[in-house]
Amino acid sequence: MSALERLTSDHAKAATGYFALLARWNIWEVLFWLALAGMYFVPNVDLVLMSQIFIWGLFAMSLDILLGYRGIPSLGHAAFFGVGAYVAGYCGKFGWTEPISALVLAMAIAAIVGWLTGKLVQRVTGVGLLMVTLGLNLILYDLVHRSTDLTGGDDGLQGVTIAPVFGLFRFDIFGRTAFWYALIMAFLLFAVARAVVKSPFGLALLGARENPRRMIMLGAPVEGDVSRAFALGAALAGAAGALLTQTTQFVSPNTLSFQRSADVLVILIIGGTGRLYGGFVGALVFLILRDWLAAISPVYWYFWIGLLLVIVVSFFRKGLLPSVEALINRWKPSKAEEPSQRVPPA
Amino acid sequence: MKIALSLLAAVSVVVLSGFNPSGSSAQAQDTVKIGILQSYSGITSLGGQQTDSTIKLFMKKYGDTAGGKKIELVRRDTTGPNPEVAKRLVQEVVTREKVQLLIGPDFTPNTLAAAPILMEAKVPSFVTGAATTGIVGEKSKYSTRTFFAVPQLCKPLAAYAVKNGWKRVFVAVADFAPGHDCEKYFIEALKEASGTLAGNLRIPVSNPEFSGYMQRIRDAKPDALFIFMPIGELSIGILRAVNDSGLKASGIKIMGTGDITDETYIDAVGDAALGTITTGIYSTQHDSALNKEFVKDYVALNGAKPRIGWGAIATWDAMRMTYDALNAQAGAKFDPEKFVSYIHGRSFESPRGPITIDKTNGDIVQNIYIRRVDKVNGVLENVEIETLKNVGFK
Amino acid sequence: MSSILTVLFNGIAYGFLLFIMSVGLSVTLGMMNFVNLAQASFSMFGGYVMVTAMQSFGVPFLASLPIVFIVIGALSIVVERLIFRHFYNTDDLTQVLLTIGLVFMSIAIATYFWGGTYQRIDMPSWLTGQRAVLGLTLETYRIFLIAIGAAMAIILVLGLERTQLGAMVRACVDNRRVAGACGLNTDLIFALTFAIGGGLAGLGGALSANLLGLDPNFPLRYLVYLLIIVSVGGMGTISGTLIAGLALGIADVMGKYYFPQFGGFVIYVLTVACMLWRPHGLLGRQT
Repeated sequence: MSALERLTSDHAKAATGYFALLARWNIWEVLFWLALAGMYFVPNVDLVLMSQIFIWGLFAMSLDILLGYRGIPSLGHAAFFGVGAYVAGYCGKFGWTEPISALVLAMAIAAIVGWLTGKLVQRVTGVGLLMVTLGLNLILYDLVHRSTDLTGGDDGLQGVTIAPVFGLFRFDIFGRTAFWYALIMAFLLFAVARAVVKSPFGLALLGARENPRRMIMLGAPVEGDVSRAFALGAALAGAAGALLTQTTQFVSPNTLSFQRSADVLVILIIGGTGRLYGGFVGALVFLILRDWLAAISPVYWYFWIGLLLVIVVSFFRKGLLPSVEALINRWKPSKAEEPSQRVPPA
Repeated sequence: MKIALSLLAAVSVVVLSGFNPSGSSAQAQDTVKIGILQSYSGITSLGGQQTDSTIKLFMKKYGDTAGGKKIELVRRDTTGPNPEVAKRLVQEVVTREKVQLLIGPDFTPNTLAAAPILMEAKVPSFVTGAATTGIVGEKSKYSTRTFFAVPQLCKPLAAYAVKNGWKRVFVAVADFAPGHDCEKYFIEALKEASGTLAGNLRIPVSNPEFSGYMQRIRDAKPDALFIFMPIGELSIGILRAVNDSGLKASGIKIMGTGDITDETYIDAVGDAALGTITTGIYSTQHDSALNKEFVKDYVALNGAKPRIGWGAIATWDAMRMTYDALNAQAGAKFDPEKFVSYIHGRSFESPRGPITIDKTNGDIVQNIYIRRVDKVNGVLENVEIETLKNVGFK
Repeated sequence: MSSILTVLFNGIAYGFLLFIMSVGLSVTLGMMNFVNLAQASFSMFGGYVMVTAMQSFGVPFLASLPIVFIVIGALSIVVERLIFRHFYNTDDLTQVLLTIGLVFMSIAIATYFWGGTYQRIDMPSWLTGQRAVLGLTLETYRIFLIAIGAAMAIILVLGLERTQLGAMVRACVDNRRVAGACGLNTDLIFALTFAIGGGLAGLGGALSANLLGLDPNFPLRYLVYLLIIVSVGGMGTISGTLIAGLALGIADVMGKYYFPQFGGFVIYVLTVACMLWRPHGLLGRQT
């Protein structure tokens, strides 16, 4: 090998080494997922609530790809969720009842919609982007809501049947199948997302978030990456939507509502952006607390939820996960830092 | 970060396992648990409040045992038309709280989402707040409706209008599934009664401003306007708009289903509601001894505000049927089949008038009243001016 | 012909209503760069203050308006000093979360004090009904709205451009540090601007309650419209907000008259088109 070849192959090895190190699974991550699985065995646990937490967590994570990693704020993310939900619904209605393949189809269609959206908003940033995503979401919702002949409108799509998973596990009224199906799918998709963000593409997204001009100078396809990020985020959101339809055998326009877009943004911000786990943590905290507050104070629970948000924002400035992380780092300053997902200093 | 994660997961485990209110407390043989799934928060929170007040009155009057079994209530908040939440809550109360009966859930989407669970678990339920046709019946054979079915309220006004010489009718409905249903039934009935459709409009559900629509109605020069709007800012808004824009003053008769003049919301409409003709299943003005007693007792226990709307009567009758059916099973273990077969096919006397539950599908046959909004003792009321007896649900 | 003119008039009135409701948010968002979604709550409380003044204290409608302005202005100063002040340098998302939390709390507070149902709104008789103007029959309340809206717009624009206070506000917005170095009391000026923005929001709520209805869920229903008007117009420009309000108001009403099947759409489609064409808003500045 010539000196130049040795140099480039050293660089290449260093680069792959970097990414390999980044992608290594940490014991705590494994514990987190095991803990979630272990919830099944807790006496009296609400399995259906847990399955919905996994779904919301996946949904919030999909927004994180756009917002946390690429820095694109979207007020209309529920549109992709709804697309996935309705695709799964139509599959169930017209005889394609096998859930896993329907899930894949829902993801594919949502990805296409996401990619097209990305193309549309490529040059728009800031407020303009927020309002365009919001506007598109509202238009889609309006269309679905009033086309009662096609979608059943508010009453929901009628006749949705979902076959048992692998032909064995029926979606029962106790929510057992829903729990495992949602958890395993969420985990698999999380693993995919994790692999993507720890790849060169993920790093490119981070770079474009921090300094788009520098990225263009490096020759990175910044504009194309926007559409790709949208496609990925939309695919994951669509998957979450399909999971909801399949575990509840019901789909209605509120899967696309502005309320849902706002809720997922709140959940993600609570958990912390830029770390894929933020979505799951936010979903855990928000949904469990909301359920609990609604039970103890049904008429005024809005007050407590509002207070929760104000408290999170005041004391956990960047979200729960980053704040706890900062706290722990302060305790143990000497612990060797693993390569983080943040852009390394230039 | 990773420590943080597992810490949080651990905390949630603890939190979750601590928080299950009653769960699987051993159920005494002689308790009947009734799940109440209504909206207690959000835009539709008055519904849940009304349900609670009615049940409180009923149990004060008739006690908290029926057929020798103690009645235990399990309340959950559906937060409005939210099928994801409603389905989860139904699963919770059926599988974990193990309720034997269910009042609710309110709203059609919630009821539709819950139906398969109730069928499978064989839990009789009462539809007290959803009007879509076909939500009781074959797919929900344990359900009984005490509310009304859309055709019952939407069809009669067509014949009434034509009979009174208002042949050209303009139809304005809210642009969502129940609105489309109502529009279909009314237009059919209008054709049958040999009336003419002057025009029809579908108004978006989130619509703050009506003036464009008012102008279209004015341009069509109808004799009467038929309105279907869900209770809330749409029903209030359209009545005020009709008044403010001078449509009413120009001689057009304003008609609609009783949603637009529901007692709980009519005061917010104000005098703009005077003269509106509606079809309804219940008015606090209904002239029967049973009703006068009901109203008096309700106001004495729960106060004059919020006012009694037809949701209260649907709940009242559900409780009435529950107690009667339980009394018929006194001494034996609760049997859902017997419960349902007692109620289906039977007639009851209600503060609204006589009602009958259809034997084959649990839907309701009742008197439909044509009312007009008048001021009675300074208060806006729906005064019954005509009665249509035993109107079916088709 | 008279139909078209009447519809146009109604659209203009709706446009002024949207302007009046959103101008408070435009002021705080544009001038102070603070995403204050709780402006919608200030509007709601403005409506409630008006209702309470009129129904519990017998104050006539016109007299209740300055009371609303002052009370809600004071309320916003209190909230600013207690809460917002600590969040000026945080990023937009944090501010969004904070103010949404406040909106939720305000809904519960309104339910607690005034109950969960819709309020009865009675306008004085000289504002109800219709008047004949230039051969058209126009609703009196809408004429009133246009008059007040136009007055507000003129006062605000002139106030900002021509008065010393306006100059001070513009200086603080452009460069707070230098303005402070020039001897301006930036804290006081910011607080004052906030108060004015809040007072305007309250006024917006009181004036629109007659047409839009008033109940505790008011903020959630109209937040989207506020965001749309302010973004389409361009942050912080009063004239931008006015133009956006008028354009969207007219488009909405005329859309509903001519194409009722697309009624609800028009405003969203126009928003998307507008933001794609000019992401900073019609009259917004590229910062």
